[in-house]
Amino acid sequence: MSGKTVSLFIQCLVDTMFPETGEAMITVFDKLGIPYDYPTGQTCCGQPAFNSGYTRDAAAAARHFIDLFEDTEVIVCPSGSCVHMVRHHYPELFTDDPAMHSRALAIGAKTFEFTQYLVDELNITDVGAEYVGAVTYHDSCHLSRGLGIAAQPRVLLRNIRGLELIEMKDSDTCCGFGGTFSVNYPEISVAMADEKIDNILATGAGTVTGCDISCLMNILGRISRRQKDVKVRHIAQLLAGPTGGKA
Amino acid sequence: MDHNQAFFLGNIRTALGEAPHSERVKSMFPKLFASPDTTEIRQKIAGRTVAEQDELVEIFLKNGNSLNICSHIVASSDAAAAVVVELIRSKEPEFNHTKHVIGHDHPDIAALQLWKRFNREAVTVHTAFNSDRQVQEKTIASFIGITAPTIGVADSATLIQLTEPGRPRSTSLLPSIHIAIMRREHIVADLQEAYTLLRGRAHLDSLVFISGPSKTADIEAHMVHGAHGPREVHLIILAEPSAAGSDAATTEAA
Amino acid sequence: MNDYSKEAQKALASPRLQASLHTLQDRFGKGAMALWANMEDQEMRRRVKKSRLKNLEHLDILLAELARNVRARGGKVYFAETAQDAIDYTLKVARDNKVKRVVKGKSMISMEIGIDPALEEDGIEVVETDLGEYIIQLAGDKPSHIIAPCIHMDRKQIGQLFAEKLGMDYTDDPPTLTMAARKELREKLLSADMGLTGCNLACAETGHISLVSNEGNIRMATTMPPVHVALMGMERIVATLEEHRETVQLLTRGAALQKLSTYVSFTGGPSSADDPDGPKEFHLVIIDNGRAKILADPEFREVLACIRCGACLNICPVYGRIGGHAYNSSYCGPIGAVITPLLDGINKHADLCKGETLCGACKDICPVQIDLPRMLAALRQKLAYASDRWDTRQHNPAEAYGFTIWRLIITRKPLYRSLLKIGRLFQRVFIKKNNMISSMAGIASGWTDGRDLPPIAKKTFTELWEEKYRNRQAAAAPETEENQ
Repeated sequence: MSGKTVSLFIQCLVDTMFPETGEAMITVFDKLGIPYDYPTGQTCCGQPAFNSGYTRDAAAAARHFIDLFEDTEVIVCPSGSCVHMVRHHYPELFTDDPAMHSRALAIGAKTFEFTQYLVDELNITDVGAEYVGAVTYHDSCHLSRGLGIAAQPRVLLRNIRGLELIEMKDSDTCCGFGGTFSVNYPEISVAMADEKIDNILATGAGTVTGCDISCLMNILGRISRRQKDVKVRHIAQLLAGPTGGKA
Repeated sequence: MDHNQAFFLGNIRTALGEAPHSERVKSMFPKLFASPDTTEIRQKIAGRTVAEQDELVEIFLKNGNSLNICSHIVASSDAAAAVVVELIRSKEPEFNHTKHVIGHDHPDIAALQLWKRFNREAVTVHTAFNSDRQVQEKTIASFIGITAPTIGVADSATLIQLTEPGRPRSTSLLPSIHIAIMRREHIVADLQEAYTLLRGRAHLDSLVFISGPSKTADIEAHMVHGAHGPREVHLIILAEPSAAGSDAATTEAA
Repeated sequence: MNDYSKEAQKALASPRLQASLHTLQDRFGKGAMALWANMEDQEMRRRVKKSRLKNLEHLDILLAELARNVRARGGKVYFAETAQDAIDYTLKVARDNKVKRVVKGKSMISMEIGIDPALEEDGIEVVETDLGEYIIQLAGDKPSHIIAPCIHMDRKQIGQLFAEKLGMDYTDDPPTLTMAARKELREKLLSADMGLTGCNLACAETGHISLVSNEGNIRMATTMPPVHVALMGMERIVATLEEHRETVQLLTRGAALQKLSTYVSFTGGPSSADDPDGPKEFHLVIIDNGRAKILADPEFREVLACIRCGACLNICPVYGRIGGHAYNSSYCGPIGAVITPLLDGINKHADLCKGETLCGACKDICPVQIDLPRMLAALRQKLAYASDRWDTRQHNPAEAYGFTIWRLIITRKPLYRSLLKIGRLFQRVFIKKNNMISSMAGIASGWTDGRDLPPIAKKTFTELWEEKYRNRQAAAAPETEENQ
């Protein structure tokens, strides 16, 4: 196992609205004996600005992030889209600035999504967790298409004791979040979320999980409005045990 | 070159960061039009054994079947004629009430001697002779069109029909039923081989690839044959006995 | 509400359309992805993409060669810089030949340049001959899919339309309806004075345009009338037959999962004098209409590699819900969302630039792997900061201002943290029993009109870290190691 100290890159939505996801990640790292720290100056990676076309504002966020995380050994984040932002879009933001460009590339190379880090970097496929019940998995777009991560979360899920993984139809179809899209075009966004939720309900699973809290927040928000009885959990919570505490 | 063209291409050069007024000519970019060496492909086609040809026929039939091409393998022109005669007898005209048939001016179609075969029936057989001024009217009146495509492509079940004197394009288009007669040795494996043969031809003015009968799925994705072109395509593959080793007159393969 | 959202709402409210879109995407979107995954020659898509880009870089040479070869056969070639140039030329050809009826093969560029109204104004009857386009024309509607234009109509609507317009007995049987159109259109096709088509792919080396169709209407329109005018977007060209072979196969696979469409016809000039059919005049109109501007911008040049198969429509989750009409353009779906603003104005079509989730499915399915999501983000950048090159002004100053504030906040940790605390105080009144926020004002209502929102947590992760983990982590790290 790598002795590297993991710097936690906690997506702003996790920090502010879903801190239990961050805690769950800590629980998993504790169980596995992985050392970690948390640069508390972190705010937002800049993705909302980037996706809305505000690349200069996104670049300011990128500078802030790079300054903060530059001296870390390895960066791990419980969000595929944020990792996609850092890895693939940060360098694009500095094509006219060679020094920043190479700093961005260097940061990108050591930034990993949570399940990707466990499976690909540490070769851990079983974290010794238990979660009793049927679970279905949503493939977030930037995670699956942007980073090519689809097998890693699945192998981790299959190795959770008591968990039955039921694949939903079109698991890799977008849930309709899309950042500011969800607020600017709510009718379309909600229609897409409904489609996703119908596919989730069709599996009969009591829990839906994923690796990206943004999508899960969208799914949760719509499930809550439709008053459906499905739990929405970040994969870190399942890997940490059913309560989000120690397994 | 007209003024418009010079201006238009100048705009493109500007867009590409080139000097707008200095024309770039083909000879300066030999690689742009370079095509891979096809000697090997040509040799492969030329060196095919009868057994290999028969394999390609099998593939064509299988792929053609899923595209609703109705295929028949025959050993002689007489057997081919029998298939055609049977089709003419059994099918009914779509747009009028008389049985007119038109065929390309091609030796394999002439060899059918269709004009001899309908002495006592109301069937009129036309040939699209180059000199005949009434070919178009005859084609419009015909319910069956017979052609002899130059190349068949097994992989995509495609018939490649060149437009040539005595072989106009409407014969395989206007009649409700298209019958294609093709010698076994004219079937190649795939489009790469077919394009290789096409590249070698001098006069390539107009041609068409035909892979099955006309179809549409525009109404609720419901597949219907015969949107505008022929609603049936029959392929008669002529495999002469020197190689076929079979004297069975006809094999219904579709 | 903007027109895009309005049209989207209409589409969402139509169960018929929703069902059709599902069927379409389940079959063709998934089918194409499976085709690409199982294709023997995994390099083919990359190779064709490369050749498309290479050909764009040498477009002037290819077009000159195409024109030379077509003219050598006696065909006329006209280079039209604008839509109006193309219309004027086509009208002149029609007048010179005393054309009364034009039959059309399905062509998107004809819609892009708006030639139908121009011909009709001149007293010329224009007949669409693709069955789907014909139905659309009879209904006075607009197509909603590149390949399946009347996907938004069901058989009952079409049956009623035919009963009304063609004077036939009502039926909703697709074969009967198709046969009725076949008969009706055959008369038109046999008596038309001019055929008007697009061009799927021209080949410079041999001097041909090629057209693909399953119905045979395009063959009819290019065989029976004495005049054929082909409208070609200037980028629809390959250098060699070898490139044509691979490109056309990707086109028909992407469009309808076919190894080849039923017909691929090659035409390179008028038919010879003794040919009983084929056009006696052949005119190729090569159209720029804004393409050179796209070619000039390295950020967007790639979009000209598009071969218009429409596969991106068959997978896009947004198109899959809203259909084609919301795009209000000849080109819909992801490709339309990029090409329409570039051809017709970024500000004018701002909603097309912004109305996607950037999920990336369109890039995956594209036979030539065009990075449409990247270009959508680039278009949004023009809207965010304005662009002289694209004659674009800032789309939403309030939003821009918002992101400036956002930048100030997220680059200043103490300010960010204080604002979170203030937000936590203010949100209290909105939190419902289920610990969710279910109504908010202003733009945030876009979220809560259809969804609940979790509130800012009682303690953020950062606060929890300070309280629970920072010291423990420092003290307990070695111990945890031992526990393992």
